[in-house]
Amino acid sequence: MNWSNVKLIVQREVRDQLRDRRTMFTIVVLPLLLYPLLGTTFLQMAQFLQEHPTRVLVIGTAHLPQEPILVKEGGLAPHGDDPVPLLEVQTRAALSPGQTADDLALEAQNLIDSGEFDAVVYIPENFRQRIEAFRSQQTETNLPHDADVPRVDPSRVEPLGAESVNAVSADAEPPSPQIFFNAAKDKSRVAHDRVSAALRQWRDAIVERNLERHRVPAAATRPFEVREQDIAPEAGRRAMVWSKILPFVVLIWALTGAFYPAVDLCAGEKERGTLETLLCSPARRSEIVWGKLLTVMIFSMATSLLNLASMGVTGALILRHVEALGRGGFSLGSPPLSAVFWLVIALAPIAALFSALALAIAAFARSTKEGQYYLLPLLMISVPLMMLPLFPAAELDLGTSLIPVTGVMLLLKALIEGEYAQALVYAPPVIGVTALCCLLAIRWAVDQFNNESVLFRESERFGLGLWLRHLVRDREDTPTFGQAILCGVLLLTIRFFAMFLAPAPESWADFARSTLVLQIALIATPALLMAIILTRSPRKTLLLTVPRPMTLSAAVLLAVALHPLVVVLAKVIQMLYPLGDETKAQLEGLGSILASAPLPFLLLVLALTPAICEELAFRGFILSGLRHMGHRRAAIVISSIFFGVTHGMLQQSLSACAVGMVLGYLAIQTGSLLPCVLFHLTHNSLTVLSSLVTPERLAERPWASWVFQSVGENEYIYTWPTVALGGGVSLLVLMWLRGLPHQDSPEERRQHVLDQPAPMGVGAR
Amino acid sequence: MNDLSGAEFYSGKETAFGMIHVRDLTKAYADLERGAFVALAGVSFDALPGQIYGLLGPNGAGKTTLLRILSTVLQPTSGTATINGCNVLSQPALVRRQIGFVSTNTAVYDRMTAWEMVEYFGRLYGIGKDELYPRMERLFERLQMKEIRNVLGAKMSTGMKQKVSIARALVHDPPVLIFDEATVGLDVLVARALMNTVAELRDQGKCIVYSTHIMREVERLCDRIAIMHRGGIVSEGTLASLLEEHQENDFEELFFRLISQRDESLIATR
Repeated sequence: MNWSNVKLIVQREVRDQLRDRRTMFTIVVLPLLLYPLLGTTFLQMAQFLQEHPTRVLVIGTAHLPQEPILVKEGGLAPHGDDPVPLLEVQTRAALSPGQTADDLALEAQNLIDSGEFDAVVYIPENFRQRIEAFRSQQTETNLPHDADVPRVDPSRVEPLGAESVNAVSADAEPPSPQIFFNAAKDKSRVAHDRVSAALRQWRDAIVERNLERHRVPAAATRPFEVREQDIAPEAGRRAMVWSKILPFVVLIWALTGAFYPAVDLCAGEKERGTLETLLCSPARRSEIVWGKLLTVMIFSMATSLLNLASMGVTGALILRHVEALGRGGFSLGSPPLSAVFWLVIALAPIAALFSALALAIAAFARSTKEGQYYLLPLLMISVPLMMLPLFPAAELDLGTSLIPVTGVMLLLKALIEGEYAQALVYAPPVIGVTALCCLLAIRWAVDQFNNESVLFRESERFGLGLWLRHLVRDREDTPTFGQAILCGVLLLTIRFFAMFLAPAPESWADFARSTLVLQIALIATPALLMAIILTRSPRKTLLLTVPRPMTLSAAVLLAVALHPLVVVLAKVIQMLYPLGDETKAQLEGLGSILASAPLPFLLLVLALTPAICEELAFRGFILSGLRHMGHRRAAIVISSIFFGVTHGMLQQSLSACAVGMVLGYLAIQTGSLLPCVLFHLTHNSLTVLSSLVTPERLAERPWASWVFQSVGENEYIYTWPTVALGGGVSLLVLMWLRGLPHQDSPEERRQHVLDQPAPMGVGAR
Repeated sequence: MNDLSGAEFYSGKETAFGMIHVRDLTKAYADLERGAFVALAGVSFDALPGQIYGLLGPNGAGKTTLLRILSTVLQPTSGTATINGCNVLSQPALVRRQIGFVSTNTAVYDRMTAWEMVEYFGRLYGIGKDELYPRMERLFERLQMKEIRNVLGAKMSTGMKQKVSIARALVHDPPVLIFDEATVGLDVLVARALMNTVAELRDQGKCIVYSTHIMREVERLCDRIAIMHRGGIVSEGTLASLLEEHQENDFEELFFRLISQRDESLIATR
């Protein structure tokens, strides 16, 4: 690669973008103006956010006791330390003549619906007399009591229909006041909360008076108070809040800042016709991609930093203003300086990742308009990964550090909170995963620039009839890349719905039936049908060829030798991502169902059927189609990911994915599905058989102690020498497979030529 | 379509004849409407230095596809093409150093001035500033571009843009120049000036491929002519030899005759 060309391209692209008004607006002007504008709007709106008084009608003031008073000067009287809620109270001494309690509910509903009042409180008749009677009765008996005074109990809300007025009542003695409110109206609900709070204060005041009369100290009702103390230092609390906000802001803007320039630099250039000018210049495709990538990165980082700065300044000013007004419960303060430092450091790799992704996607688009449609899918993938760390349960550990984007955010969070020791431990996996993702995304972008069908995609008339005709007329021997992906996605979708439709198995027969249906009808059949309908040669697609006899023995040997390693891998995965209690219980239930099954049937259902059905789909249809990509390794990896994900559980999926890669390699090197079926059958059979190992069976066979070791109750894994031996043999078999003559797809041959270093010198051969 | 496979296809064992050497070049596209569409069906020709090789054909004849393959922007489905001894498939970067490509599809950057654009490509060709700037001055003088030196691409007329494209294609002084429908959209004056420039370049010993659908341009300019239709070369030679071979006095008549013969033979083979 000629880096001076890359530098030239970067310089040109940056200058070009700086001269583009739209880009400059999105990247510089928008963040600089957006936050101050938002701030102004916030301050303007703040007046609307102030609490407004709610209007309450109290009916039956004539029935209130003289002391303590409830209604006072158009509001409710304060009792205790809490401030009086904002209430505008109107009163009516008693029910209108001839009005009953039922009429009252109707009237209250009308009053609230018309908006005249937000809540209506009814003090029942004889309330005062009953309270006083209660007091004197208690005095006579002079018993300590639970202060069961009129109580407003929200748990007794009896809805009278969705839009109707609710009545809160209690039929205990003395009679309870009632609050009528409408839970479907925000304002009415607020009124209910405020009135309840005021009535509770009033009730406490009544309790206090009763106690005074009995000469019991008021403290009797509260023998102790709980005191809380937050030991987090002020800076720590600030860091905690900022560590959640800042990484999210920085990442989301890095993504947005990458996307628009990427679309302009790829789809925009296609649209304007300058891409072809650049393609016939001496710059290599990889140099063009790197030049554009670095440009997009610069703008991604600039957008992110400008947003951060603008948001920081505006936010700080607003917070200071709010604090000066004495509102707002806590002081957020400015973020610690170290936070800003770590954000800037982390921005580079994350901007690189987003830029490469955006560039590859943008290269695919025909026009800027089409490119902008692709932003949504990109956001739908990235935003959940960014949101994950915001959950309180998300912590930085080896498992989460291996998730792209999420790992970076959690690492940033740890760094901002000053957890350096933890961050240091998990920095290598986070950096490794991010770097790997970056490389893959860059490679993808370079591929897009090497793919003339992507570069010269022209607008085609699309119609369903035309497309269906094209599917049948232009069939090739093996499926296209798109058809392979479609098959994978289809299988996953079918599996998703099957998971919800199928009831949990209760017996071995249930389990066997649902597994056979899943394998035969929902995995093998779609793949077979697609092969028959969409390809010219289902035999070639599904690799239904006779392999060399030696490859069959090699496949079985490889499966046996690899099994210990796969078991170890599964254990490691379970350590990284431990099983939840619910999953464990499910697995134990499944284990007991399987224990009741006869071995030949177990092998038929769990080993032979998946070996045939899954191989037809994943190494047959999907892998054959994916090989049109031109990258064997990528084809193997993608088919394995589909294979893994169909296994449902994350832990199982990961190890299945690893096994899938070996199977994919086997399929390509041998050119036949049969070795894959044998490998899969052997592997699954060994898994079934090893689950049958018990102490008794081990005791019967002394040699078995060389192979298995106990790791807990009824749990056995292979001994380390077995694992090592298996690894060695696997390596030998894989090396032998590597030497086998195999057939590349035309795209793979072409890519091979593209990947060769260019010979130097004019006319050199 | 003839999809050759294996290493022998890409090894470029052929030997160079002319400056441009094309043998059995085919190109097939997948297309939703037409299915597998053969844009080039086995094209062979040689072009020499100091010669203007004209490709004449109606729209959709495969001229642009052929020239895009020569400029390494597209890859052939089969066949070989070399430029100054460099294979378009296995040595694309070297090929691009040997050619200047001007096409209706190679636009100029809207947000760059004429000077910046030519300078950018000159630098991409690895020409040092000391050598580049005097060369650019001469080029701007010769193509009468001095007044548009600081004009942004977006503000240029079609003629101005075409001049910038030619300057960009000439800045590295390549032995081969490819013009694909270069006079489309130009007024008569600018088109005539462009043809004069092309003739001058031929006189300087450049090997030029000039594709057009306008017969008079070919008659005036080209030393050898290939008539293309439906992905193939129907007939090839100098203007005089073509007329003599097909016993025709009028070139336009000859063109129509050859084209309709090709259509008839294709229908017959179906």
